[in-house]
Amino acid sequence: MTTTVMSANEVETTYFRRASRWKLIVIVLAVALTLTIILSLNVGFAQIPFSTVLNIIAKRMPFLGNLVDSSNVSYVEETIIIQIRMPRILAGALVGAALAAAGVVYQGIFKNPMADPYVLGVSSGAAVGASLAIVLGIGFTLLGVSTVPILAFAGSLIAVFVVYNISRIGSRVPVTTLLLSGIAVSIFLSAIVAVLQVIAGERLHIIVFWLMGGFSYVEWKDVLAILPLICLGTMVIYFYARDLNILALGEETAQHLGVDVEKVKKLLLIFGSLVTAAAVSVSGLIGFVGLIIPHMTRIVIGPDHRILLPTSIIVGATFLVICDAVARMIVSPVELPVGVITALSGGPFLIYLLRKKKESYAI
Amino acid sequence: MVILTVDGIDCYYGSVKVLENVCFSVKERDFVGVLGPNGSGKTTLLRGISRALKPHRGVILLNDVDIYALKSVEVAKQMAVVPQDNVIAFNFTALDIVLMGRHPHLSRFQMESEKDIAIAKRAMELTNTRHLAERPINELSGGERQRVIIARALAQEPTVLLLDEPTVHLDINNQLEIMDLLKELCIKKGLIVLAVFHDFDLATRYCDSAMLLNNGRIFSIGPIETVLTGENIKKVFQVNMIVKRHPVTNMLYIVPLSTSRSKTKPSKDIIVHIICGGGSGVPIMKTLLEQGYVVTTGVLNTLDTDYDAACTLGIPVVNEAPFSPITKESHKANLAMIDEASAIIIGNVPFGYGNLKNLEAAKVALERGKMIIIVEETSVHRRDFTNGRAQNLLRELKSKGAIAVESCREALSKLQAL
Repeated sequence: MTTTVMSANEVETTYFRRASRWKLIVIVLAVALTLTIILSLNVGFAQIPFSTVLNIIAKRMPFLGNLVDSSNVSYVEETIIIQIRMPRILAGALVGAALAAAGVVYQGIFKNPMADPYVLGVSSGAAVGASLAIVLGIGFTLLGVSTVPILAFAGSLIAVFVVYNISRIGSRVPVTTLLLSGIAVSIFLSAIVAVLQVIAGERLHIIVFWLMGGFSYVEWKDVLAILPLICLGTMVIYFYARDLNILALGEETAQHLGVDVEKVKKLLLIFGSLVTAAAVSVSGLIGFVGLIIPHMTRIVIGPDHRILLPTSIIVGATFLVICDAVARMIVSPVELPVGVITALSGGPFLIYLLRKKKESYAI
Repeated sequence: MVILTVDGIDCYYGSVKVLENVCFSVKERDFVGVLGPNGSGKTTLLRGISRALKPHRGVILLNDVDIYALKSVEVAKQMAVVPQDNVIAFNFTALDIVLMGRHPHLSRFQMESEKDIAIAKRAMELTNTRHLAERPINELSGGERQRVIIARALAQEPTVLLLDEPTVHLDINNQLEIMDLLKELCIKKGLIVLAVFHDFDLATRYCDSAMLLNNGRIFSIGPIETVLTGENIKKVFQVNMIVKRHPVTNMLYIVPLSTSRSKTKPSKDIIVHIICGGGSGVPIMKTLLEQGYVVTTGVLNTLDTDYDAACTLGIPVVNEAPFSPITKESHKANLAMIDEASAIIIGNVPFGYGNLKNLEAAKVALERGKMIIIVEETSVHRRDFTNGRAQNLLRELKSKGAIAVESCREALSKLQAL
């Protein structure tokens, strides 16, 4: 009897320490992400010594910059690191973070492990927008920005808006209807993409490459465009992390516990779609990240969204940075689409985790 | 003083009206059972009160404030709900789940404090789930899970507790434990407990008052013993019930007999008279009624089990004062009843000088050409307390054509020959 009480007390002690444990996890993972980003700067067709890479980064740091001797760094090397590799790696991190965050949100709202950031038609809307931009002429720019990301972004938001309004009954949005109308709209839009591919002629390969997803053409301005959107979106989502926990008890119970379910759901859907749309607009359709990262993280770290969300975001970012580095490296100088790498590596790893911790998969 | 008033609410699912003009008021320390057939609106009523289904008409006042005018978090600080189905996505631990009950008391970025954990701990102690704290909720048994859910509701520190069939997954021991706990909380903490039950016995054991719903309306409301009467239950559930006080516990108890629908089966118009006593007649009466026979019985002493059963089943009976031998008047009345019958069944009843006349009545019946069936589950000499007179009479009956059978079922098959 005494031992039972003891262990119960231990449980509570660990609960008190939970907040600090969570902080530690986030810090460790953030450090890992930073290291991954720095290491991946070394990956690419041009052979640049790692010391040079560190030198170039250090030079850009406040205070540290003055102490570094950068006389032996060539202009070309600096351009490759800062103007070509840096934006695509940061874009990879941002997109990975956004997709993982949206995945957590959608799996939480739909209480379904099959949900991913694309269930509400974000991907197919973006695909229509991007294909349209490509078919109409890629050279066309609006205010100095290529039309492809702009139309992709607009297309995905329009698709989600349509899906949302199809499922809306008064002020309520039942999740099952949402899921189904997402599927319906996606099928419809995919057909339009198919039509655009047929009439694309010689531009077909551009559409196909966009659909596979990648960071080959990412520039600094793309990164700066999506950065505020993704930061804002993930922050809003994090505000509602505890509400997401309670939604797991069912919407009615959540209501009974004081969660304004319809409002929370609406906000989470809007900001989940926003970060996904922002991500997709620069990267094209990268599958799997939003599906498996939340999953894997949940298996390892538990279902509490207050830690699951930040962890998934960092792990998603790290994962996509690594996948992109591998995509550049594996059959260099040819680049593989990063979506191929995410699927090739993430799939087996998820299967491994599922087999190892079968019981935790229970939803 | 906490008062919950439901004032004339109508609730709809789409265009279907599920509740109509429901009015009642409960105050702290009230333990109210909500009863009624499936689809009578019990769960809907709880949903209406818990702010999950806004009534089209009428208001729900908690301490004179319309709960639909409050924010859901304000309501959640005062009202907790234990729902019927508890599907929980993702594998939270039991303690996680109970701590979720603290949500309405926490601000957006606040982590659970020491106080919140102490409250959760106490709630888990009360529901006997503290040892489950670290276990994943989806790996608990139905009963453990239910107790965790109740602990979560208690962690909300509510003044009103709504429960939808709280004991439905629990074994008898857990049922009583949970009900005892709810009762105790109700009295000690002055909670209002409003619980949907399908189990009449539990309801009568614990509830002070009850409401019986039927087709979305309150059929009856008030102290439990005035609501759960055989009459009311028969009307609402279309089931015949015996509602009685238990001689040992002095609690109301309810025994369903048969659905009144099956009773409306076309009558065979065959009258069977039963000679019984001491409980030997109950199975016969019940079986024959179910088969659509018209049943009469006599002579029985008042207070005899068979007499009670006959009254409950609405069977005409010739009765005699308690512990008295059969008088001439009763015997005559019995003979008159036997005259109407086509067959007589003699149950496996002990015979003494008091009820020997019933056998003589059977003899008369046989002479008048009635079919006589004697059920002999135990040997006659063991239940003959008349120095062999009963045995002689029975032997005489058999020799004159009465049919002896060994069971009630056999008797029925003989009757079917009629």
